[in-house]
Amino acid sequence: MNNIQQRVTRCFLNVFPDLSEREISRASTASIAAWDSVAHITLLSAIAQEFGCSLQFDDFEELTSYELIVDRLENANQNA
Amino acid sequence: MTLNEALAVINSRKPASNEKRPYYLAVGFEPLHLKTFFSAALLQRLPDVGIEVPTGVYGDLLGNLELAAQYAAHGAAVVLEWSDIDPRLGLRGSGGWSEDLKPEILTTAQQRCSRLESAIRKLSIRMPVAVAAPSLPLPPIGHTIGAQFSAAELTLEYVVASFLLQLATVPGVRILHKSRLDGIPACERLDVKMELLAGFPYSLPFAARLATSLAELLQPSHPKKGLITDLDDTLWSGIVGEVGVLGISWSEENHAQVHGLYQQMLGQLASWGVLVAACSKNESPIVESALARADLLLKKSSIFPVCANWNSKSQSIQNILRTWNVGEDDVVFVDDTPMELEEAKRAFPGLSCLQFTPRDPDRVWDLLRRLRDLFGKPFLMEEDHLRRESIRASAEVREFGGLSTPDFLSSLHGTVVFDWRSDPNDKRPLELINKTNQFNLNGLRLSEGEWRKYLDDPNTLVSVLSYSDKFGPLGKVAVVIGQKNNGAIQVLHWVMSCRAFSRRLEHHALHKIFARSGAEKLRFDYAVTGKNHILQGFFRELGIGSEHNGGICLSRDVFLARNEILPHQTRDIT
Repeated sequence: MNNIQQRVTRCFLNVFPDLSEREISRASTASIAAWDSVAHITLLSAIAQEFGCSLQFDDFEELTSYELIVDRLENANQNA
Repeated sequence: MTLNEALAVINSRKPASNEKRPYYLAVGFEPLHLKTFFSAALLQRLPDVGIEVPTGVYGDLLGNLELAAQYAAHGAAVVLEWSDIDPRLGLRGSGGWSEDLKPEILTTAQQRCSRLESAIRKLSIRMPVAVAAPSLPLPPIGHTIGAQFSAAELTLEYVVASFLLQLATVPGVRILHKSRLDGIPACERLDVKMELLAGFPYSLPFAARLATSLAELLQPSHPKKGLITDLDDTLWSGIVGEVGVLGISWSEENHAQVHGLYQQMLGQLASWGVLVAACSKNESPIVESALARADLLLKKSSIFPVCANWNSKSQSIQNILRTWNVGEDDVVFVDDTPMELEEAKRAFPGLSCLQFTPRDPDRVWDLLRRLRDLFGKPFLMEEDHLRRESIRASAEVREFGGLSTPDFLSSLHGTVVFDWRSDPNDKRPLELINKTNQFNLNGLRLSEGEWRKYLDDPNTLVSVLSYSDKFGPLGKVAVVIGQKNNGAIQVLHWVMSCRAFSRRLEHHALHKIFARSGAEKLRFDYAVTGKNHILQGFFRELGIGSEHNGGICLSRDVFLARNEILPHQTRDIT
């Protein structure tokens, strides 16, 4: 697990404390019942603050799984 | 605190019991991260309990205040924003800002503030309420450029300030001081994107700051009781033993204004009932002369005792603490010399030691602000003003040869008043329960919500004891809370101020409870704490002493057999 994955996992664990790291790596809005709209905004806000980045309106619709979030952050990191 | 840190605090807290203490958060917007930060901030201030933060529905602050009033919460935080004053002032409103609408907006604002005031007053009868004024910038509704206030904006500010002023006088309501939020400029408070996306208006750093401040208002630290100050280069500029009484100064013309400011601060603290003592390595007569200077900005009578000698500072501090009968944890020591502060701190680790830095005025300013935070209290009571004089009287009484003999106590012509009314607006009993250590049945503290539940419970006996004698009144000095239980009284809380020790008020209290309740037995929810040695000694004297926690009993017969003639008159208020 790289540094970005570790930090994203920590954010997930803070929002979904009952999930295991294994479950988190596969998590999506479709697979996790607790991932409702409030949890979604909390999670993405926590991640944005953790990585010091700003989220756009579209991000809230598109970033619907652990994998998508990590991909977005890794791409942003490579392009920085 | 970041959002991740707040979530981690919430997740890390698994209270021993499942009981959660509710604190209502009443807002008109989506509470979202404010709720998270508020929960975390309360948990940090309340290490031993679980927290629950109920909220209401979006867009209806007035309705949420009514819901909160029906909730048995320990406190409520009310956060106002301009959209609660008039929806057109929020980012989600679309009612228009044109000039012809301004009078209507101002009328709505006045009506809405009036209704909010009424709802918050009603809520404050049930629980303590912290209120935050609108803290976001108004939308650009003025016809002026941004650098110039428009009359409409100023009128809105005036309407809100008037409404807050009315609330500030209501017992149980605490208005959040805007200076607590000053660290985050107005332009960094609003998160437009999040407001439009989710109805949550605050940036994360601002939400954290606001929530922490509200938690501080609802669960404030206990104010310190006494301040011990050094004299040379602290209370005044100069070494009085070297420059003489007329050579010391605290005025602007002598570049010593920081000492004048400090004197004014101590004068203010003394007027609040804070104990102020002086501790100086000096000859006593010259210090007496210096303190007698008519231009001193702090009354000499406000300082008691004055310890001027060549002993170590810690020895003098020990004498002062003994005279006050106050623990080191409740006291602040101010001195300009780091070595003296270090020596005092080693002797009294619980003492708050603060340095006075006469050559750094900015740090002196910070010190004054810190003193306000350490000693400030939500309200002042009559007892606050009696404290210093009663301690001085007790010291004089001790010099007479002690308080313990029955003849001496009878000669005081004392009166003990038992007040059985349950007055929720009287803050003194709760202050006694939450500050008293040495004569405290179990060390348990109460929130305002828990206290009000006792007052509302017809099965609970609450008595507040006041005392006065020929040396003057001590005010309200003790509280007993008991519940009727199968012919006995279960004593849940019993505290007595250290100012009232050695007057046998504790004997009067038990005698009165037996007499008034008709109970044959008292059961005490007793716990040994690190500090309640005076109470332990009293129980040993009654023959029911215990080194262990748990319930202990006292029967009427045993009490009457051991109890001597009571020295004071008593009176009941019902």
